[in-house]
Amino acid sequence: MLTSIKTNEFAGNKGKELGMMYFRVAVILFGAQLLMGLIAAIQFLAPGFLFELFDFSVARMVHINALVVWMLYAMIGSVYFMLSDETGHEGVAIGLGKLAFWVLTLAVTVVVLVYIFIQVGPGKESTIWLINEGREYIEAPRWADIGIVVVVLIFYWNVFATYMKGQKTGIMTVMIADLLALAGLYLAGMFFTDNISMDQFWWWWVIHLWVEATWEVFVGTLAAYALIKIIGAKREIVEMWLWIEVLMLFGSGILGLGHHYFWIGTPEYWWEIGALFSALEPVPLVAMFVHVLYDWGKEQGIAKAEGKSGSVMNNGPAMAWIVTNAFGNFLGAGIWGFFHTLPQVNIYTHGSQFTAAHGHLAFFGAYATILIGMFYMGVQYAYGVKVLRSTFKSKMGIFLVTFGVVGMTVALTIAGYEQVLVERAELGGGWSAFFAAQELPWFVQAMVWRAIMGVVTFVGFVYLVWDLLTIGKQAKAAQEA
Amino acid sequence: MFGLIEPFTDVNHSFFGMLNQGPLTLTIFLHTIIILPMFWIYFSEKKRLNK
Amino acid sequence: MANKNVSVWTSIPFWRRSAAWVTGFATILLIWLTFDTLGQITMGTDADLKNGVDKRVPAATVINYKIDYKMSTKRGHEVPVIGGKQLFFGKEWSAKEAADLLHLGKLTSQAKNCMNCHTLLGNGAYYAPDLTKAWLDPAWQNGGPLQGMTGKNTVEEAMAEFLQHPSQYPTHARMMPNLGITADEAKGLVAFLKHMSSIDTNGFPRNFSKTVDQFKSGGTNAH
Repeated sequence: MLTSIKTNEFAGNKGKELGMMYFRVAVILFGAQLLMGLIAAIQFLAPGFLFELFDFSVARMVHINALVVWMLYAMIGSVYFMLSDETGHEGVAIGLGKLAFWVLTLAVTVVVLVYIFIQVGPGKESTIWLINEGREYIEAPRWADIGIVVVVLIFYWNVFATYMKGQKTGIMTVMIADLLALAGLYLAGMFFTDNISMDQFWWWWVIHLWVEATWEVFVGTLAAYALIKIIGAKREIVEMWLWIEVLMLFGSGILGLGHHYFWIGTPEYWWEIGALFSALEPVPLVAMFVHVLYDWGKEQGIAKAEGKSGSVMNNGPAMAWIVTNAFGNFLGAGIWGFFHTLPQVNIYTHGSQFTAAHGHLAFFGAYATILIGMFYMGVQYAYGVKVLRSTFKSKMGIFLVTFGVVGMTVALTIAGYEQVLVERAELGGGWSAFFAAQELPWFVQAMVWRAIMGVVTFVGFVYLVWDLLTIGKQAKAAQEA
Repeated sequence: MFGLIEPFTDVNHSFFGMLNQGPLTLTIFLHTIIILPMFWIYFSEKKRLNK
Repeated sequence: MANKNVSVWTSIPFWRRSAAWVTGFATILLIWLTFDTLGQITMGTDADLKNGVDKRVPAATVINYKIDYKMSTKRGHEVPVIGGKQLFFGKEWSAKEAADLLHLGKLTSQAKNCMNCHTLLGNGAYYAPDLTKAWLDPAWQNGGPLQGMTGKNTVEEAMAEFLQHPSQYPTHARMMPNLGITADEAKGLVAFLKHMSSIDTNGFPRNFSKTVDQFKSGGTNAH
């Protein structure tokens, strides 16, 4: 992956080359996210660790911001990567796209350095313009918000103009519409109000309509593209599934937003809207899961009937991550989300480690997995490898990362359960109730397990990066031999 | 009756708040107006395919 | 009618049209609901407070009133109850002064990144206590351990003192760090917290802080 910067394997496909640039930064930010998570996990066990130097709030802010930004990088990279395959053009203004890439990367670097070294500012407008906006997930200061909007406009124009010029596949049509919504929603998070209820109302427009609507459709689109590329699935079938997924994801996800409006000052009617629409959110995730495994089995069956031996996959590690995505999306976003989506349950689970458990498995299962799959597709293309097979490092990477994240999720679920029963149900959620519950052995043990599983995840990440850096070169050497 | 139809208790009156008084009436209303036109889409598509 | 058995269920145009309809219409419904909700969560006015008009989010001058959080048999859960007048930092705040103070407090809550340790209205991080009803927490009231620790006589003064020197008043091994909060900013933050406790959150958190003392003494609800 690294040497592909120098080699000229792209055969002049500038769009794919730009996609790879985004992928590389995404991997680095992914690493930063894990390191920050480890610091925060240690602080739960040893609160004195880096106290008043690098507090939990800072570690946690960089943890979740690195997460969001690496995923957006990988998503932009994926779109540039698939552009030429879907439209038949490699992108109308890739040079401008590269400039936008460097501007964005510079801005992200400055924002992160300010987060780390300046951390907080005085209670003035200048702080939210220059240092941090203090709104979970979208902390980026206002100047950076505006920069992001400009960069995203360049990106969107690039993709849209290419789409208009080239062939218009179903996959690309969904992508174009989805990206417009995804980019537009960011604007809902760019204002200040003294009214905390109003603040959180619009804040959820960005967060929910990203991760439970537009990002999910984005994943459906990527999976459709990847299935065609990796196992040679039929486009007609894949695109029909994609439209069904769009129907169900947006049908449940848009009004499913209501499950965030139970307790923030909004009217009671959101209980019923949020509960029933969001309860349907797992349905499309089951469909996506069935779709991936069914298509894989079908293509394999056809190949066997035709007397071909061996696998239909031309990219083992990418397919492994996409199958993990099918499982993880359903389990993390679907099941773990449904656990606490009904208001009768949520009044006790809201704001507990339950949410953290869901967050970890959902972001990983729904997004990290398929984006890592895209990294492997990038490597395969960059080295011109016909069939990329999993290595020992690929297997260690996927096993340890998945095992680690599932382990963290289980630990956090147990911690959340204890918190819900003791702090909320029994003690009613005040200051002393909070700390009484944090001290109970079941909570502390869960936090120890979470830290251990965090380390497991990190070791898996090291294998993953090592594999991404070496697998292409090795496979190419083997191919030529 | 079994507390399924509730008096209006929320702070402000609104159309959605009123629908919320009956058993799942609000969510059934919203689901129905979303799903119902799909029947029309279905039959118009069937007509088109049969041609 | 030669093709009577043709299936619509495998027709891409059918699914594409359905997806477009459902997405578009769900969006329209969401926008409609949003307008309805925005009207209900807009901040009330000082006149509303004086006339006893119930608002989900009262005006900033709610800091001049006593706030309680009580079970409502009508609503079926706890609701904030705005009572008689109560001085805040020893005075009654005009509408303009109260709004400015709340503005400073909300801005400070963002500038100091409160939400990445605490939860506000239940949203944020889970490293420190939820602040939704912190103003009403028994620990900060007269006779409560947090107020006692600061040596102050009112909730607002105790909270403001703690916010300016949090690591001088450790409440737990997990301490709040010193964030350089000034005296004015601390006042603003306390106003922000008091205002937040007056927001009607449909009964969240439930059963707020009722039985901590019983639990701590190892007791049960049985007599």
